Amino acid sequence: MSAASVRAEAKRLLALSLEAGVVSSELVGAVLAALEKSRSAHQLRPLLRAYLTNVRRELARGEARIEHAGPLSAAEADAIAAHFSKSLGRTVRPVTRRNDALLAGFRVRVADDVTDLTASLRLANLAKSLS
Amino acid sequence: MTFLSALLAAEPAHATTAAVKGAAESSGPLGDIIKLFGSFGVDGPHLLIQLINFAILAFILYRFAIKPALGQMEERNRLIEKGLADAQAATQRLAEAQKASDAKLNAASDEAAKMLADARNAAKAAVEAAKAEATAAQTEVIAKAKAAIEADRVKMMNEVRGEVSRLVVETAAKVLEQNLDDATRGRLNEAAVKQLAR
Repeated sequence: MSAASVRAEAKRLLALSLEAGVVSSELVGAVLAALEKSRSAHQLRPLLRAYLTNVRRELARGEARIEHAGPLSAAEADAIAAHFSKSLGRTVRPVTRRNDALLAGFRVRVADDVTDLTASLRLANLAKSLS
Repeated sequence: MTFLSALLAAEPAHATTAAVKGAAESSGPLGDIIKLFGSFGVDGPHLLIQLINFAILAFILYRFAIKPALGQMEERNRLIEKGLADAQAATQRLAEAQKASDAKLNAASDEAAKMLADARNAAKAAVEAAKAEATAAQTEVIAKAKAAIEADRVKMMNEVRGEVSRLVVETAAKVLEQNLDDATRGRLNEAAVKQLAR
């Protein structure tokens, strides 16, 4: 299979794995079972790699990865996710991780979009403006 | 009647002698003259022969000595005149050549003076051009040096400013990291959520 056909097949498999616009673990399992039966091992490896990349990207599109300094309550995380769900037009669920190097505030990443409201970024911008 | 005509008109010697004798014997002026010549040894026929000899001698001398000598003299004169004319022409040519040489020398001198003046002018112009070029180069070098110094100064100032800013920010970050407690960070996070919602 050529790289283009592999990408097209992986895209088609990803579409089969979505349920109401969200990646479904059951559908992913069904797709993998079907692939295991229908394809040989040497054909399966590049296709699975492309499929995995697509699934990860799709999962990232549905996640708001929130890095925060100090405590962040679940209600605040949900409020952040709701804000992005509203602005992006799709359901986004929050995934939080504490990082005190950010000093204060939080940084949200949804797919390739990053929103940074941290004190460390403010200080970096201040240093850049002063230099 | 002259003496010669008298001789030519005379008769032969014996007749003459006789005549002389007769004349001598006769009295008169002619007889006296003949008697006088006779006393000097002048004899008419001898005189005639001598005249003929003299004429022959004169002719021979003229023909073979005087005439060639005169021809040679004329040739010499002609040669001398030719030599003089040649010498005069040579003198004239020499004068003309001298004049031409002087003219050429003057022209060459003028040309040399002109070339010298041109060379001096060219050298002066070259010196002036070199001076101008050196001045321009010097100005350019000074301007470049000033620009480089200014650029270095600006760069150094920027580096110092950046370094100071970095140190200030790093210090501020460390101070914040040490002094911010969870309660403060929580309030800040809450404020950030509100800012995001706006």
